[in-house]
Amino acid sequence: MFKILTAMLSVFLLPSFIFAMTADEIIEKSNIAYYYTANDGKARAKMKIVDSRGRERYREMTILRKDIKDGGRQNYYVFFHEPADVRKMVFMVWKQAEGDDDRWLYLPAIDLVKRIATSDKRSSFAGGVFTYEDVSGRRTSDDTHELIKEEKVDGKAAYVIKNTPKDAEVVEFSYYISWIDKATFLPVKGEYFDKQDKLYRTITVDETKVIDGHPTAIKGTGKNLETGLTTTIEFVDVKYDIGLKESTFAERYLRRPPREVR
Amino acid sequence: MKILHKIVELSLDNPKKLLSIYGVITLLFLAQFSKITVDTDPENMLFEKEPARVIHDEMKKEFALHDSIIVGVVDESNTNGVFTPQTLNNIAAISEEIMKIDGVIARDLISPTTTDDIRGGGGTLVIEPLMRKGVKDEQEALAIRDAALANPVLKDMLISADGRAIAIAVPIKAKNQSYRIATEIEKIVDKHKGSEDYHITGLPVAEDTFGIEMFRQMAISAPLAGLIIFLLMFFFFRRLSIISAPMIVAMVSIIWAMGFLIGAGNTVHIMSSMIPIFLMPIAVVDSIHILSEFYDDYGKTCERKKTFLGVMDKLMTPMIYTSITSSVGFISLALTPIPPVKVFGAFVAFGIMSAWFLTITLIPAFIMLMPERYMKGFGRQDTGPDRMTAIQEALGHFSTKRSGLIVGLTLLVVIFSAYGISLTVVNDNPVYWFNKDHRIRVADKVLNSHFGGTYMAYLVLEGKEDGVMKSPEVMNYIEKLQDKISSIEAVGKTTSIADVVKKIGFELRDQAKGSDVIPQSSEAVAQFLFLYEMSGDPDDLYHLVDPIYKKANIWVHLKRGDNIDMKRVIEETRTFMDENKPPAGIKADWAGLTYINVIWQDKMVAGMLKALIGSFVMVFFIMTALFRSAIWGAISMVPLTVTITFIYGLVGFTGKSFDMPIAILSALTLGLSVDFAIHLVQRARQIYSENKDWDKTIDLLYEEPVRAIIRNAVVIAIGFTPLFLASLVPYQTVGFFMAAIMAISGFMTLAVLPAMMNMMKNRIKM
Repeated sequence: MFKILTAMLSVFLLPSFIFAMTADEIIEKSNIAYYYTANDGKARAKMKIVDSRGRERYREMTILRKDIKDGGRQNYYVFFHEPADVRKMVFMVWKQAEGDDDRWLYLPAIDLVKRIATSDKRSSFAGGVFTYEDVSGRRTSDDTHELIKEEKVDGKAAYVIKNTPKDAEVVEFSYYISWIDKATFLPVKGEYFDKQDKLYRTITVDETKVIDGHPTAIKGTGKNLETGLTTTIEFVDVKYDIGLKESTFAERYLRRPPREVR
Repeated sequence: MKILHKIVELSLDNPKKLLSIYGVITLLFLAQFSKITVDTDPENMLFEKEPARVIHDEMKKEFALHDSIIVGVVDESNTNGVFTPQTLNNIAAISEEIMKIDGVIARDLISPTTTDDIRGGGGTLVIEPLMRKGVKDEQEALAIRDAALANPVLKDMLISADGRAIAIAVPIKAKNQSYRIATEIEKIVDKHKGSEDYHITGLPVAEDTFGIEMFRQMAISAPLAGLIIFLLMFFFFRRLSIISAPMIVAMVSIIWAMGFLIGAGNTVHIMSSMIPIFLMPIAVVDSIHILSEFYDDYGKTCERKKTFLGVMDKLMTPMIYTSITSSVGFISLALTPIPPVKVFGAFVAFGIMSAWFLTITLIPAFIMLMPERYMKGFGRQDTGPDRMTAIQEALGHFSTKRSGLIVGLTLLVVIFSAYGISLTVVNDNPVYWFNKDHRIRVADKVLNSHFGGTYMAYLVLEGKEDGVMKSPEVMNYIEKLQDKISSIEAVGKTTSIADVVKKIGFELRDQAKGSDVIPQSSEAVAQFLFLYEMSGDPDDLYHLVDPIYKKANIWVHLKRGDNIDMKRVIEETRTFMDENKPPAGIKADWAGLTYINVIWQDKMVAGMLKALIGSFVMVFFIMTALFRSAIWGAISMVPLTVTITFIYGLVGFTGKSFDMPIAILSALTLGLSVDFAIHLVQRARQIYSENKDWDKTIDLLYEEPVRAIIRNAVVIAIGFTPLFLASLVPYQTVGFFMAAIMAISGFMTLAVLPAMMNMMKNRIKM
């Protein structure tokens, strides 16, 4: 009797043991698919920020990215086109595998390059709902991951993963849940819960497109349910593997933008 | 009048029926009490649609400003104040736990661990919270202090300039949760507290505490006043059973008035919480007149119904007139544009008329139901002249023999009082509604001695187009405006977007001398601010400027919440802006609670003056109608005129601020001080018409009628002394005024009126 039972159980359970990915693997794969697409990339991002009172702000920037190591170090170069009074401002990040990232900012109005030190990666990116980590990725090792279920969302089969920060003190959420497309491993949406365990922030990917063979999220929305702030971002002119050099991401190119952004 | 006498007779004949009807009505009103909602929000002193309030509300949303509980941390015991590793770590732990409290807007918590500081130096700009938990040693603690003091935005707001205090501002979602949240904060503080002191305060806490105290006063002071009135009546009438009648009248009319108020959907505000206290004396006044006369007359015949009808013949007219005039005084409060005052006036008036009707129906019913044995020995026994009668007679002689002296002295008093009134300082500060040693007052004093000021006003500048606030011209103007406002004595600190821009510039240039200035191009301003948006918490900026840079918000911290101080700030700012026109067509508007207080107080003072004049004129017409003579009308106005002048003159002389409670009391003064005059004049004329002899009239007048007035004055004046012990100042004020009104108007009526009548007896028709 016992034997039969174990045999039956193994028949049911075995396939899932063999084929199922662990939560860590899913998150790792998603991180590569979403933040480390190809070896480098370029896109023009259009960001609209609308607050609860309907006040609108608009940002437009060119983003260059170069991966040094998949899932590890990578560099970002963000050149602002709009608003007009911050045109030519440049923001550069060397994302590190460990410790704080290196950030620089160039202020054309006073022709000054400044290193910015902050350990806070949860602060807003350019005044919208998205944080630095939303834009450049959150280190997968900063959270523990738990696959809680699989379900269809927006017509896509998705893994549902609960991510709990290892160091709760440095983040504003107590945990967040990500829905990850089983087919492309791009995130579909994320829900963030505050210290009082209330849902307060959502991020959704609204449109994806295959560009140069890479599934790419080209439209996204962030909503802060507490403040009523909404931010939409749209990527146009997305290109991959354009041959960016690591040396392009250097202080001296902040004053004189490389041809790729011009 | 006939119908009223019918009603009295009906009550005498059907006492039981009447009592059961009243029982049912009273239960119905009592049932409304369950719906009670207390409102202690000072913003509700203005109508919701009042322009100043609309701007204020709009501004709060526009700049995401929340009502906040303030946790002030102070340590006077060592030279480094709160900047020791131990205390800082306590504060960090407390802040962390506070963020987890339900109803706290965690993202806007202002604490050393959540608020960003900007520091430059060595080519790097550091944007980090002022501190993190785990401060190791004294050196690190002092570095945190120095960083905070070098940040003009944080200095005097988060950190006191003397380095001894830190303030945590806990923004809350809804004011009505502040009591629960404050209690949870207290628990958290107790858990982590070291040698440092914690003061939990802030407007929402003050409001809540006030609400709780209000209930306590309603539950203690009013009944206590009732008890003392009861004891005094016992002293006069010696019959527990009979004097319980006026107490029942008072209780029932209070229940009716409050039940109606609550049932009609009104909230109970500080003003309406005082209705029971106001109604208590007014409600028993008529009963005391009736009982007083009944007591004096009953012994003669020992026939209840006949005695009672006889008493009512004498008192019916003065009673209805005194009730109407008192009501008029309170109804006139409906002319003020302050919603809680309107409600208060209307329902006190309703209570007065209820009390009057209850008096003429319930008292006779009650007396009729009294078993015979209780009535035995009731009434004044003619045992020859007692001390009281002697005093009355002396008073009577004095006022008729020394008429000239009395009238002259009164005139002198009026002139002096008028001078006192001219000294009146119109001022209010809701914190003064608490006693000096109340913990709210203590916290207020401690925090304002360390910080820039906990009383907030906001000067909102609005330009014509988006982005205008980024122009250096506008920035420089804001800076100049701030300099001006900061130079005003009561102002402890101002904060604006210009401070942030200057601070960023200063740190960007590695704190180079002369670099904390506003940059010369709007691009530079824009880029400094964009830098902050990119690196710090953009929400920090949006308390000072709107996200499209069309409006800017200058925070003005005042050390005192006095209206006179705020008024000075408003006036000096206006003068400055008239002399120095703002660029780019910028307009300015004030907001903030300290400003709102000024607005409603101005409205109240003007409104009260209107109400006072209105009711004065009304009462004069009523008096003229009652006595069918304008001259008698005018004479009967004398005691109340002198009383009001004297009392407000006294307020002026003592330097006590003319605030809301005192303003409201003018209605009470008017209503109560006319009563005695009505009784006296009415009775004097009645007696005179019977025997046509002035001297005899005076003699008779100074028997029962005057005795009733003295009893009334004494009962009410002493009855309200428990209010002196109340923990809320408005209640103490009421207690003092009650005593003063009774004493002065009583004396005026008994000494001055007869003196005037004596002087004019040959010139006017009695």
